[in-house]
Amino acid sequence: MKFLIVSGMMLIANSGWAQQAQASSALQASNLLNPNISVIGWFQGEAGHRLPEPGKEEPAVMGLKEAELAFQSIVDPYARADFFAALEGEGGIDLEEGYLTWFNLPADLSLKVGKFKANFGKFNRTHTPETSFADRPLVHSRYLGQEGLSSVGGSLSWHVPNPWLFINLDAEALTMPEAKEAPTFDKAERKDLLYIGRLSGYYDLTEAANVTLGTSYGQGTAGQEFDAVKNSTSTLASKLYGLDLTWRWKNPRRAIYHSLFWQTELLWNHRELSTLSSANTMGYFSHLEYQWARRWRTGLRYDWTGFSTDEAKHESGGLAYLTFTPSEFSLISLQGKKTKKADNEKETLGFLKITFNIGPHGAHPF
Amino acid sequence: MKIYRILILSLSTIYCLLSTSHAAKLNVVTTTEDMAALAREVGGDLINVETIAKGYQDPHFVDAKPSYLLKLKKADLFIQIGLELEVGWAPPLLTNARNSKILPGNPGFLEASQGCDILQKSAGVVDRSLGDVHPLGNPHFWLDPNNGKTIAKSIAQRLSALDGAHAKDYQANLERFETKLSGKEKEWDKLISQSNIKGIKVVTYHNSWPNFAGRFGLNVVNFIEPKPGIPAAPAHVQALIQQIKSEKITLLLIEPYFDDKLPKKIAKETGAKLLIFLPSVGAKEGVKTYFDLFDYNLNLLKEALGARG
Repeated sequence: MKFLIVSGMMLIANSGWAQQAQASSALQASNLLNPNISVIGWFQGEAGHRLPEPGKEEPAVMGLKEAELAFQSIVDPYARADFFAALEGEGGIDLEEGYLTWFNLPADLSLKVGKFKANFGKFNRTHTPETSFADRPLVHSRYLGQEGLSSVGGSLSWHVPNPWLFINLDAEALTMPEAKEAPTFDKAERKDLLYIGRLSGYYDLTEAANVTLGTSYGQGTAGQEFDAVKNSTSTLASKLYGLDLTWRWKNPRRAIYHSLFWQTELLWNHRELSTLSSANTMGYFSHLEYQWARRWRTGLRYDWTGFSTDEAKHESGGLAYLTFTPSEFSLISLQGKKTKKADNEKETLGFLKITFNIGPHGAHPF
Repeated sequence: MKIYRILILSLSTIYCLLSTSHAAKLNVVTTTEDMAALAREVGGDLINVETIAKGYQDPHFVDAKPSYLLKLKKADLFIQIGLELEVGWAPPLLTNARNSKILPGNPGFLEASQGCDILQKSAGVVDRSLGDVHPLGNPHFWLDPNNGKTIAKSIAQRLSALDGAHAKDYQANLERFETKLSGKEKEWDKLISQSNIKGIKVVTYHNSWPNFAGRFGLNVVNFIEPKPGIPAAPAHVQALIQQIKSEKITLLLIEPYFDDKLPKKIAKETGAKLLIFLPSVGAKEGVKTYFDLFDYNLNLLKEALGARG
């Protein structure tokens, strides 16, 4: 009898343990299948007198500008999904990107669908908290928007097969953004699409140095003109051309201590202002960064930009920074920026940018 | 019209030639030179082996350069260390290589840690306050020759599965490698018994050596990094200097990719010898095979410590 009771207790105990173990392993399995979740916090303080700009809100002296949430995972053997949502300081939530990539199509192709940052130039795809700067280069703000050029659509990417050089060709069709999102373009009708093409090549110059050269092209609409006499509307066109050069140096024997980075992007825009007139404008930025110790880097950026709708206007400026990275997952950066505005007024601003990352945020494009 | 046809035909021919130019041998791409060295032992002339990180590079920090995609695109087998050593750069390379054969879960993907004796698996809560820790275990496991045998066996099995026609050759190469390694282990054990290596207290820069130390009898008592991946603060350096002096530690071991300024300063203040210890094949000219790696490090220790008195 005693044996039966003990056996019964053991069975109950074992079944409880088994249930616990099952639950625990199910929990583990579900964790394993969860997407990688990460958050990047972006705190920024600002000093100096910011000149007012029509339609643009003056930022707070200090604040948590953004918390960027990333969810990234393989969906199935054929595709991966990436979502980036920005919780903004003012309380808004913005889905910055959310796309599915079939990364393994035949003939060296991959296809992306969803909302994503357009593959125009090299800088556009980087989210602002992950750039070296407190703000985006002037030329990007004036032509591609405050948050960069992004929209909903599809993107086909092709690795051009050859054994010597990495060459990539991208073709994208996106819904047309409005002018307040991307000042170069303006949606005229619901059906309007923005077409983007990019050809880029990467080459290892030496073991330590490499170069990426890219050309980009964007074609879309620039609003509509109404002809009162004919009682008809004409859709205006805008074409954007880009050229980018990125040069990197990093000795692999001392990779964590020293590196040098130089990136320059030029943009040209031909935009119809009306059926009778058009504007040809351009802008560029050049960024040099030197990492001189394991945790320290310093950099300079020079900006010059025209305005898509006005050939006569331009502004220029420069930004310098000193950045300390306590670890791979956080940084503290002191930055100074001087801008000569289109009306010749000068603006001098200082920034304290602090970003911090929790979770396994995926690597960004090289 | 004719010119278009000629152009299309030419492009198709070039594409086919480029796609099939390496069809004869299996193409193996490894994340590190250690895995490449072991793959060469097993695959011999039957495979082409290319590696991503060089032996003198810190494998934690490798840029995912697009040029690596050219190697991965034509790979039949991809071998990585695993345990999140390459987590910052291997996954984006794999998903961008447009080569389904080498994606995780397929026969062309091999994680070398499988079946190996993995030390320092994290128990309990793990977060980044502990530094750049690897919760699944210390990823420097290839530095124990017993694990080298396990890795070689996994590679032989995988090569045989991918290239059944040469399965016997891979098995023969594996047996030859195991025999040679067993012979070398006897040599290394003899070297240790004739020197003062066994039980010697050492300080290392990074926590790269638990498997090596366990196999050859070193006693790693502290690290120059206070936590993995975190540079030393002055208070840690002072405490370390005190410990080295009080415990009469005679050796500092650093990997070749770390700056030797601070280790040199510590060595100067304490009188300890500073040795550049190699964690990988290819970290120094002449260290070309898996055997060379242990030969070099053990002889370096022997020379530094002298013969057993």
